[in-house]
Amino acid sequence: MGSDRLSRRVTLVAAVCVALATLLIGSAPARAADAWWSPVALLGTSVTRVSAIGDAITVRTGKGATLVSTDGGKTFASAPAATRIPPLNVVTVGKETWEIDPAGRVLHATGTAANGTPVVDPGSPDLGRGAALIAAPAALPGVVVAVSTDGTVWRRGEDGDWKQALLLLPASLVQGVPRVTSIAAFTEPLTGAIYLGTDGYAVLVSTDGGDDWIRAGPGLSDSVYSLSAGSARHAVYAGTSNGLWEHVLQALPHPPAYQDAQLVWRWLGIGAITLVASAAALLGMMRLAPRRLAP
Amino acid sequence: MATEAFGTRLQRYRAASWWPTAATLVIAELGLGAALLIPITFSDPNGVDPFLARLSIASVLIALPSLVVQRLQAARPILLALAAVATTYTLLSAGPQILFDLFGARSGSFDEQVFWASVAQAVGTLLIAVVAWRTVAPDWRPSLRMRHLGFGGLAAAVIGSAVLIGLGLALPAGLLGRVALQPVALGRDFPLLGPANALQAFSQEVQFRGLLLGALERTMSPRWANVCQAAVFGLAHLAISYGGPEAPFVPITFLVGLALGWLVRRTNSLWPAVIIHAVADIALQFGIVQGLYGF
Repeated sequence: MGSDRLSRRVTLVAAVCVALATLLIGSAPARAADAWWSPVALLGTSVTRVSAIGDAITVRTGKGATLVSTDGGKTFASAPAATRIPPLNVVTVGKETWEIDPAGRVLHATGTAANGTPVVDPGSPDLGRGAALIAAPAALPGVVVAVSTDGTVWRRGEDGDWKQALLLLPASLVQGVPRVTSIAAFTEPLTGAIYLGTDGYAVLVSTDGGDDWIRAGPGLSDSVYSLSAGSARHAVYAGTSNGLWEHVLQALPHPPAYQDAQLVWRWLGIGAITLVASAAALLGMMRLAPRRLAP
Repeated sequence: MATEAFGTRLQRYRAASWWPTAATLVIAELGLGAALLIPITFSDPNGVDPFLARLSIASVLIALPSLVVQRLQAARPILLALAAVATTYTLLSAGPQILFDLFGARSGSFDEQVFWASVAQAVGTLLIAVVAWRTVAPDWRPSLRMRHLGFGGLAAAVIGSAVLIGLGLALPAGLLGRVALQPVALGRDFPLLGPANALQAFSQEVQFRGLLLGALERTMSPRWANVCQAAVFGLAHLAISYGGPEAPFVPITFLVGLALGWLVRRTNSLWPAVIIHAVADIALQFGIVQGLYGF
């Protein structure tokens, strides 16, 4: 009698194990997405400036060395003495040039240097003397993002309207507000994304011209000192407190796709468990509830 | 021997006034927990896993029999509260898609869809609360405490809101993702998402501090009733942040639930908790910068 009961229990447990194993084996694991940021070089070294133009990636380290790579960052060599990293306060997109002048005003010029005289962009904010961070994505004509000396991020909409777009909050009660260190966008129309580097919150990205932002620094050091968008390699480079990192352009993470048959099995399994769990709970309640209620 | 002792103890417990509601709550939570968590082993929370739908179905399957089975009458408000939590949250989450499917472009912007989904959540919650209140004997009726908001309650709401925001700012930014404010998005979204968040807070307070706490108080000490509702409030956030880093969220929401439950009892009004909860939800909506994976 006892052995019969034991045998039935063993059979039941075995059946459940087989059913679960079938579901687990039959279901394909979700494919992991590509890393959002990958290390390129100089790990353990502080990289304070990076510039990616054409095939060349030029970096400046925390110790003041200027290095250049022409093989995508696999190897770096000392840069020639005349090497100049472009200034951060000017960006040219097609025939448009946007510049922050020494007084902190945003200037706009259309056409070549010969016939395009820079004028103050109407409605542009006073960014403060010494402000020097500006970017303009080629994929969103007219959109400009600039950072004032107090750390406020401003954006110019396609209609020319300037608005405050981002105000960083203190990291904690004692740490204060992190510094905005860099801003980058592709000067070829590859994507409208705008990347903002900070010394504390890694990288934030906006894909709608600066209206909405998301945190986009998984894997990256919190201290990002410099960003550069390299159109030739379809990549954004980040100089950080721990070397040079790279983000190759990719779509924002999205749910993986499954085959129909796998979906059917998943849904059947999910439905069965829902029903069994509900029925078991109901039976338990009925068994344990007192037959007569007395308030 | 041990089985006999357990049986005797069980008989004694079953005679206690708190037994019908406590046993029901524990068993229903186990059933819902099983329905929610077991399929994680073979499903993908970001893709094909309809976890809210199955949670709703399970909660309705468990609650419906209580409307007709007399011995479950004391547990009816509790089971209906759990059903209200699951079904109306599903309605809120699926609302925008449902509206778009029904009305296409006439369903308005995403903010409008979220607002109307929040209205639906509040209306659904109130309907279930009315059913729970009207279909049980007066001795089992939950006290919803929605009749008044005195000066003391208002003061408690203001102080509580300030304390909660102060705590949020004191915590390291990375824990919550509260790295920045986005003024453009705030100006665009607040007119609809502000009221939507307030409605969502109202719904949850009616469900947890109204129905659940009110029903539990009928059969157990206020202290235990508060602990029980706070525990369910914390565990419910497993489902809300199912695809995210849910583990730290449960103890935090448990403590918040305890504090709000205490406040509701202390002021004998649901409204201070509604106000504090609304302020917290609005602050979370606009002070948190989402990450790449939605959290």
